[in-house]
Amino acid sequence: MYKTVLILLCGALITASEKVNKQLVLKNVDRSIDLTTQLVKITATITLENTGMDTVRNFLLVNEPNTPEERISYLGAKEANKYELKIAKAKFEEHPDKTGYSIRLNQPLEAGRSITVTLEQILTKSLQPYPTSITQKDKQLVRYFGNHYFYTPYTVIKQKTDVMLSSRTIESYTKLKPVSQSDSTVSYGPYNNIEPFTEDQMVVHFENNSPFLTVTRLERSIEISHWGNIAVEENIEIRHTGALLKGPFSRYDYQRDTGSSHHSVKAYRTILPAAAHSIYYRDSNGNISTSAVKPYKDWIQLELRPRFPLFGGWKTSYTLGYSVPSYQYLFKKPSGEYVLIMRLLDHVFDDMHVEELITSVILPVGVSDVKVTPPCEVERLEDEVTYKYLDNLGRKVIRLRKTNLVEQHIQDLEISYNWQQLMLLHEPILIALALFLMFIIVIIYVRLDFSLSKPEHSKKE
Amino acid sequence: MFYTNMVLITIYRFNYRATAYMVKNGFYQFLNWFDERAWYPLGRIVGGTVYPGLMLTSGSIHYILHLLHINVHIRDICVFLAPVFSGLTAISTYLLTKELWSAGAGLFAACFIAIVPGYISRSVAGSYDNEGIAIFALQFTYYLWIKSVKTGSIFWAVAAALSYFYMVSAWGGYVFIINLIPLHVFVLLLMGRYSNKLFVSYTTFYILGLILSMQIPFVGFQPIRTSEHMAAGGVFALMFAVCFLKHLQSVTSKSEFKSLVIFGTLIAAGVVFLAVVLFTYAGYIAPWSGRFYSLWDTGYAKIHIPIIASVSEHQPTTWFSFFFDLHILVSTFPAGLWYCIKNINDERVFVVLYALSAVYFAGVMVRLMLTLTPVVCILSGIAFSNLIEFYLREDENGRVEESEEEEHTTPSKRLYDKAGRVPKMKHEQQKESSESSNAIGANLRSIVSVVVLLLLMLFAVHCTWVTSNAYSSPSVVLASYGADGSRQILDDFREGYYWLSQNTDDSARVMSWWDYGYQIAGMANRTTLVDNNTWNNSHIALVGKAMSSNETAAHEIMTMLDVDYVLVIFGGVIGYSGDDINKFLWMVRIAEGEHPKDIKESDYFTEQGEFRVDAEGSPTLLNCLMYKLSYYRFGELKLDYRSPAGFDRTRNAVIGNKDFHLTYLEEAYTTEHWLVRIYRVKKKDEFNRPRIPVASRVIKSPNFVSKKSTKRKKGTIKNKPVVVKGKRV
Repeated sequence: MYKTVLILLCGALITASEKVNKQLVLKNVDRSIDLTTQLVKITATITLENTGMDTVRNFLLVNEPNTPEERISYLGAKEANKYELKIAKAKFEEHPDKTGYSIRLNQPLEAGRSITVTLEQILTKSLQPYPTSITQKDKQLVRYFGNHYFYTPYTVIKQKTDVMLSSRTIESYTKLKPVSQSDSTVSYGPYNNIEPFTEDQMVVHFENNSPFLTVTRLERSIEISHWGNIAVEENIEIRHTGALLKGPFSRYDYQRDTGSSHHSVKAYRTILPAAAHSIYYRDSNGNISTSAVKPYKDWIQLELRPRFPLFGGWKTSYTLGYSVPSYQYLFKKPSGEYVLIMRLLDHVFDDMHVEELITSVILPVGVSDVKVTPPCEVERLEDEVTYKYLDNLGRKVIRLRKTNLVEQHIQDLEISYNWQQLMLLHEPILIALALFLMFIIVIIYVRLDFSLSKPEHSKKE
Repeated sequence: MFYTNMVLITIYRFNYRATAYMVKNGFYQFLNWFDERAWYPLGRIVGGTVYPGLMLTSGSIHYILHLLHINVHIRDICVFLAPVFSGLTAISTYLLTKELWSAGAGLFAACFIAIVPGYISRSVAGSYDNEGIAIFALQFTYYLWIKSVKTGSIFWAVAAALSYFYMVSAWGGYVFIINLIPLHVFVLLLMGRYSNKLFVSYTTFYILGLILSMQIPFVGFQPIRTSEHMAAGGVFALMFAVCFLKHLQSVTSKSEFKSLVIFGTLIAAGVVFLAVVLFTYAGYIAPWSGRFYSLWDTGYAKIHIPIIASVSEHQPTTWFSFFFDLHILVSTFPAGLWYCIKNINDERVFVVLYALSAVYFAGVMVRLMLTLTPVVCILSGIAFSNLIEFYLREDENGRVEESEEEEHTTPSKRLYDKAGRVPKMKHEQQKESSESSNAIGANLRSIVSVVVLLLLMLFAVHCTWVTSNAYSSPSVVLASYGADGSRQILDDFREGYYWLSQNTDDSARVMSWWDYGYQIAGMANRTTLVDNNTWNNSHIALVGKAMSSNETAAHEIMTMLDVDYVLVIFGGVIGYSGDDINKFLWMVRIAEGEHPKDIKESDYFTEQGEFRVDAEGSPTLLNCLMYKLSYYRFGELKLDYRSPAGFDRTRNAVIGNKDFHLTYLEEAYTTEHWLVRIYRVKKKDEFNRPRIPVASRVIKSPNFVSKKSTKRKKGTIKNKPVVVKGKRV
């Protein structure tokens, strides 16, 4: 089937070939690798120093060879913890086998000066359960494969790394001295004067009982009604991607084991907008009666309990829907254009990982000049037309797709379009006309006589 | 309490699934549908073994609504079909009663049928069953039939045949119509009420109805080949004989005619009877089916077809359920019947026959209460209408008493003379003489009317209570009430089925007792071995045998049938009485019917003849598969502080066999309240090697550590024989 695939770009994402500037030196690198959840969150604070003569406008970031690009879900860079920096994909002239990014500094770095940049990287599927299958009462152990050194095309003068784990139970970790362990943190370094592209495998094998839940597919549909309502419905497929459950599941053991540190997932929390109402939570077998809604001041917290606890390899799917008033999300510009600002993706559970997201926005009947402004790089699928109650014209559906998302992708999507206010009356008028026609036909039918013989009473008379 | 549409429809999942299939793939695809997910490994031809009326009805409503761009989901149509059709039933009951008696009685009857629990049970939202639309078709066919008998017009007879066609397409109960209408005609003939009107309407109805009913694939040639339908054909022949005799009567003398009639009738009857017997013997006409026999002999099913007897709906009706389903109508409908007999005419003969036969059938089977309910409503409507008319109307002087002929074509003033007979019926003895005076005091009037109104009010209260308590909660969701009155929902069925649907292989085969077949197919979307369409007794018996054998024997059957999962319902934790252990004896009986060598019902009883699950129960029971699957690890569970471990709340006993292990199966999932327990059948390579916990595993030095190093280049030989001088190796 023919399918238009449009890559929408936000910012300046242009793949360019870059040269490594040897004049840049990393004076200090402070990395912290957070392994407490199912995601790997790497925060690196880098002090860049320009030892050359020319001013530098951007610097490069290279993907580690053992970290495939599809595992990198999110990458962000900030200057002095405040200003967002622009990131573009890049290729390297000297190293055609490597991929990476080019980060553009807000202000050119003059010779002899230094600057502090904070990088945030979130990796998915990087914690591998080992052993890969466990029985019900076993603890879940995972392994992390990383690099003792910050992988960079520049020389690093001094660096150290903290690995934060979810528990004190550590099976093993690589010991590249100096290394120390305190509580649930393993500290590596400081290491001095490391050459560019230095690699040394770091392996940490530890206990992690935090929920390993992956949303394998999330279909989010946003339906706009100009009568004042926006209906949101999410079809969610969830799988427990931790260590597989081996052997039987015993309800008796499960009921006896009341400890909270368990690798199965009983319930999780979803945050909805504060204005959400008419919330429903169901699956193909109807309402799931095990859920609770807690309204807070700025959000609504939903405690969702799947029908059954999720063990490794088990999956479930459900539909969550709610309505929000349109005045909070739909605006009219002075030019008469309507703008919808809604999240491309919303919260499912803390530290979530969404493998595939399809967001479809159902626009009202009779829109024109639709402009889509996504917050990040998304794939736009072919538009569809859907028919709701009493629609004879059909509604346009904008469909967007993106893979490998995390919480950082909860950002606003903007869609603007032109629309005639008169179209609001389209359907009521249609109904009125239909009823009118029906009554006319009845009126005519009642007044006509279709019988072949004359009625008896008229004969008598 | 609100339930979503999906819950409401759960019991009737098969119909819903079939409808959804039809909407998706079209009617012809539906007729050819072979469902390989049911009755594994046999499969089931759905198109030819189902009454398609229900699916066609909701499918065409769906089609029309979608033409108008009203995009209703087929599920919503299915859920609300029964209430809509119960509205139509009320209208057709009104029309029928109006034809029989008067408009006032019609209104009463319509009101009754609208709320009577016996019918509400089939017409609540979500009751997506054949009966829901069939009762409408039944009433409407009767209305059209009465109309055609009254007018003698071909138009009404054709309309009756069409309505009959709809009924045939909807429910197997059409046999009731095709026997009742000929019975009506036959009785009319016996009563000497033959008329040309009757001839026209019956012959038209029969021929058209016969041809139309044969168009339904499931019915096929049954109308001319089974005994159930023979009465209609016989009456059809009789009709012509009578017509012919009437003609002869007009051309011959009286004495000649008399002998001719006797002779002719005898010969005709003899020929017809012989023909039927001969055809039956030759195999052209199928004898009465077993289900039909069980209508005459209530003990028949228990002995010959335990599968029918095992359904609670097929048990003889108790007095309690008569009252529960009909309330005061039980006592008032004989009054209406009496009125009809007293003022008999052609169409009232019909309602009398209808009432008498329906009462009989309702007494045989709880399920057939449904056919009794409409006629009870009609007759009670007549009774109440008469009573009210008599007592509520202001006394008019100069009432004409002597006119006794009953011609109630119109509900006119005359009706009300007839109503004058009410006291005669109520207080027959004393009022007989004083009827002419007919002076009823104002006090008596008001007392009677208040009492009647009170009765009706109680009836309404009862109906509301029954409806809200007994019939409107889906059986798939159980509710329990805590000590403080708070409600707890036990959603275990859906939990278990949803687990099956999400976490087993798509082609997994699930073995369970047939009661849960449709639910598993519908809610878990997995292949089942047996289901609620109990067409193959031996297959069900095989499942019953597996459940009642010990684990080893059961495993043989299960591998033979490629079973991947076994599902049992166990109510011992929450005290749910409809679980598999309570149904277990039926499984044993059905299995014994087919495999008398292997399974004996007596083995499952104690020496005193008791069915016990505690330590005194029979060892066969304590070691059979069903027992083990129900109670696996239950012996360790302590429900509360007072009761000992392994206390079964449903049977109020501590189970007898507590500490056992399963060799061939393993627990795959058990729901929160242990209601649904699912076991996985182990593959061949899994059960001969018991699993040893990691801690107690002894590993024979897996890797030989070489002592060779850079310094010591000389290697050593593992297990090298040590040679000591002077000794033999």
